[in-house]
Formats: sequence, C-alpha cells, structure tokens
Amino acid sequence: MSGSWPVAELDPVRRLHVLASAISGAAVASRVIPAPFEQVWEVAGDLERGLGTFEPDMRSVRVEQTASGLVAHARSRYGFRARFEVDLRPGWVWMQSRFLLIGLAAVPVAGGTLFAATGGVRVPGRAGLVPLLVRRANERALERLAARFS
Amino acid sequence: MAMNELLDLLTPYVTRICGPIALADGPDAAQEALIAIFKGLRGLREPAALYGWARAIAVREAVRVARRSRHTVEFEDDLPSSADLEQAADIRDLLARLSPEHRAVLMLRDVEGLDERAAAELLEVPVGTVKSRLFRARENFRKAWSS
Repeated sequence: MSGSWPVAELDPVRRLHVLASAISGAAVASRVIPAPFEQVWEVAGDLERGLGTFEPDMRSVRVEQTASGLVAHARSRYGFRARFEVDLRPGWVWMQSRFLLIGLAAVPVAGGTLFAATGGVRVPGRAGLVPLLVRRANERALERLAARFS
Repeated sequence: MAMNELLDLLTPYVTRICGPIALADGPDAAQEALIAIFKGLRGLREPAALYGWARAIAVREAVRVARRSRHTVEFEDDLPSSADLEQAADIRDLLARLSPEHRAVLMLRDVEGLDERAAAELLEVPVGTVKSRLFRARENFRKAWSS
C-alpha cells in the first residue's frame, strides 16, 4: 500500500470564519470577485497602495518590519492614527490595533476569487467588536474591491 | 494576535484528525471543529488539557460532518474483497470504504496512538465497540498491506 493519511486543509477564508467566530460582534462578509486570485491579491495584499482603495477610512498606510513582526501605521481621513500588528501571508491579512481589527482572506475558486472580510471597532480588553454596522461596512469594502475588477 | 497564533498552533493538529475521518469533507470538518474549539475556549479550565480537549471536539465534528454528507460507501458487515483492496491506491481509498466511526477508531489508534480504552472514552462508546470496529477496520488494512 502506498500513500499517507489524508490531512484536511483549512484555507484562508475558512480560517477567517474560525477567527471571526471567536470574536463577539464580528461578522464575515464574502463574495466572489471575477478576477484571478493573483490580481486580486496584488491589490488586497498591498497594504500601502491597495488596502486604502477599498477599506473604509484608510487614507494612508505605511508598513514597517520590526523585530517583533510586521507593523502598519495607518492614518484615517479624519486624522486619527493607528498602529496595527500585522500578519500578512498569501491570501491572508490579519491586522489589529488597540481599537481596530481588519481581517481579509482570499482563495481562488471557479469564476475568480472568493474574498472574505471581517473587522470593525474593537471592544477594549475583550475579544469583541462593537456590533454596529459591522456586516454592512465589510460588505461595502468588498463592493469597492470588486468594482476595481469589473 | 493571540487567537491568530493559537489558530496556527491548533490547525495542523485538527486538520490531521479531521482528514482521515471526514475525507472529502475534511475542510468543512476542520472549520467546524475549530469554530467549536474557539467558542469553547473560555470553558477550558486546564490549559494543559488543550490538545486532548481539542482532539475530542475534532473527532466528534469530523464524524458528524462526514455522516451528514453521506458520501461514504459503507460495507461494515460486508468487508471489501481482496480484489477491491488490491485496487486500493492509497489509505484514502481504504478509509473511504469504512464508516466515519470506523475511520475515527483507526485514526485514534494509528495516528494518535491511543489505546482502546482511551479511544472508547473519547468516542463515548463501550470498549467492546471500539475493539470490534478496530478488528474490522484493521482487517481491511492488513489485507491491503499484505497484498
């Protein structure tokens, strides 16, 4: 007999659903973007030039590699600043600041790229988001991203 | 970021458990198992017990998801013929011929290294049930290994 024991795969979109399930108030928005994964991720995974084109209120982002990992310094159009710890991999971005959470995931599927987003305003000191317009905000981000490829 | 890191830690373990039991439904099983694990984390009183606790949840979810989809061709009382087994290209082929519960018993024994009593406890079935499941499942494997 040949072969080895099968191992299940947890792709980035499934991973996003798992993490979001552990955060009270979080909602995951998802949609298929009719463009190849590589093209979509070229935008979404480019935190400095791409993220602000579809994530709300990200006027500028600067990424810095620190000893403890990747850090993003973001500024909103209202002037607020945020320092995010970032986990960035192909098809996966997880960014947390003291007050904000952004999670993005993408996988290639038939017809394009399945893209999922979660995030919002964090409840300080807890694994929770302020449950206010969370789903709609993430849906709007996906609409804006999809519009770039239509 | 702590949850992100915990997920990195648990994912390889959970996907290794769910794969042999849920087969094609492995990704669904792994996702649902990890969701159940993360939702239950607050109730985990003993951090040292994390892996054992996660294993029990992963096995339960994998069996549930596999039974729900009913992709399995079962012949628990009608063991595969030698010819069937000779044609089996890999472990996945052989596992696909067993019920999810039988696959769970095999995986716990051969991947996780549990003895029959521990497997019975985890699956919440009598030890005799585990023994008979193992006997049938391993018979299939033995025939395949020796063919």
